[in-house]
Amino acid sequence: MTTTGRAAPGGRTDVAEAAGAPGGSNAAESARVRRLLLWYPRGWRDRYGDEFAELLAAEQAEQGPSWRRGVNVAATGLRARLAGAGLAGHPLHPAAAARAGLATFASCAAASGLVGAVMWAQLAIGLQWSVPDDHRITQAMDLMSGALLVLAVLTVLAAVPVAWAAMAAVGRGGGRQIRWPAMLAGAGTLVLVVGGRHFANGWPGTGGHLLVHQGVVPGGIAAFGWAATMWITSYWGHPGMLAAFPAAQLAWMVASPVATGCLVTGAVQLLRRVELSPRALRFHTWVACVAWAGLAVFLGGALCWLLTSGGSAPLFRAGLIDRTGLAVLAVAAVTGAAAVRRARLARLAESLSQ
Amino acid sequence: MMPSMNSSDRPARPSPADDASALETLGRSSGPASLILSSLADGTKHGYALTKDIESFAGVRLAPGTLYEALSRLEAHGMIEAVESSDRRRPYRLTATGATALSTYLQAQRQVAEVGLRRLAGSWALT
Repeated sequence: MTTTGRAAPGGRTDVAEAAGAPGGSNAAESARVRRLLLWYPRGWRDRYGDEFAELLAAEQAEQGPSWRRGVNVAATGLRARLAGAGLAGHPLHPAAAARAGLATFASCAAASGLVGAVMWAQLAIGLQWSVPDDHRITQAMDLMSGALLVLAVLTVLAAVPVAWAAMAAVGRGGGRQIRWPAMLAGAGTLVLVVGGRHFANGWPGTGGHLLVHQGVVPGGIAAFGWAATMWITSYWGHPGMLAAFPAAQLAWMVASPVATGCLVTGAVQLLRRVELSPRALRFHTWVACVAWAGLAVFLGGALCWLLTSGGSAPLFRAGLIDRTGLAVLAVAAVTGAAAVRRARLARLAESLSQ
Repeated sequence: MMPSMNSSDRPARPSPADDASALETLGRSSGPASLILSSLADGTKHGYALTKDIESFAGVRLAPGTLYEALSRLEAHGMIEAVESSDRRRPYRLTATGATALSTYLQAQRQVAEVGLRRLAGSWALT
């Protein structure tokens, strides 16, 4: 027996027809269905959107609007998004689960790198001018510096195979999917490097104790980190003081977060879209595991600084931004761990099925 | 009426190694998945037809999100497949893998049900 379907109650099953109906409740129902579909990721909507909309329209025609249905769609839509990000066990395309997990970890690492650079650069300025009373602050700085160095090296190591695969795809005449992400990441990097180097000249750490009593603090990198994250500042809460800034610096404080967003979005999309070989995928999973360990070490160093900074001189005292940064680091570490775990499981499952 | 089935389509006899976990790997969707596979066992159906059929034989109305979450997982695991259709309501059919998984799952469930009913009959005089 083949039952390709019974007509939905009310004889109306086509959402497009409903959408085309002038005014009235049909158009409202169709709009409601379209809104509900937005809970799902684009890939899911491309595959199941039409038929799912038909089902929702039929359900609405039979039973009327229902908040329970809305909650059900929202919950399953969010789970589909988590699965698409490699954070849940049942992605739409299991083969892409490993890449999705790695891309999510890359996002977590980027968020950690950003807030980590803010905290590290601020502490570096203090260490350029003064010696902390508590030696644990210097030790915390050493931990944070070492972890950041490891993360920077791993970022380069991870970027090379992706860039290679992207260039190979372009060379084969394909690569339409990766053109925009590559351009976005490239433009973001260019703006950050040029602007960061220019504005690093205004680093307030210049002229202090040159690499004495300060652990592993390379001044030039600290200056660049400070300039690249200059926009994360409490000055936004004091418009009067902000207005006294030079126009070029204000423009940079607006442009640099946009450039950072372009770089991170482009890099993550590139990682999701580039076809990596199983060997490269294995390497990236390994890199992500080591990077997570580096992230945990940085988190430990930052926590040590925040716990010991209370009685220190103002230069070493952690503020609201640093405490918020620590919370972001903790969330990124937890989410990143879940993403790496999913990526490893997906890669193992894929290698077993081959 | 049972659908005609070639010998190649017929589900393989489950071996001891084929435990009943094929559906269990679908996690929270394993319950809805068994209902969907049971519904598709007698022919292809689209989403709404599945909802109504499952409601008629199981007394459960699957919410749309739950239904499609299970459908997408079943399709990803190769237990069902979409049938080409000009209709926006895409029908699905059971695959040989899905039939094997359902058979294994239902046999395990039947064993549990038989033991439970036998013990109820012995201790509580209930059948």
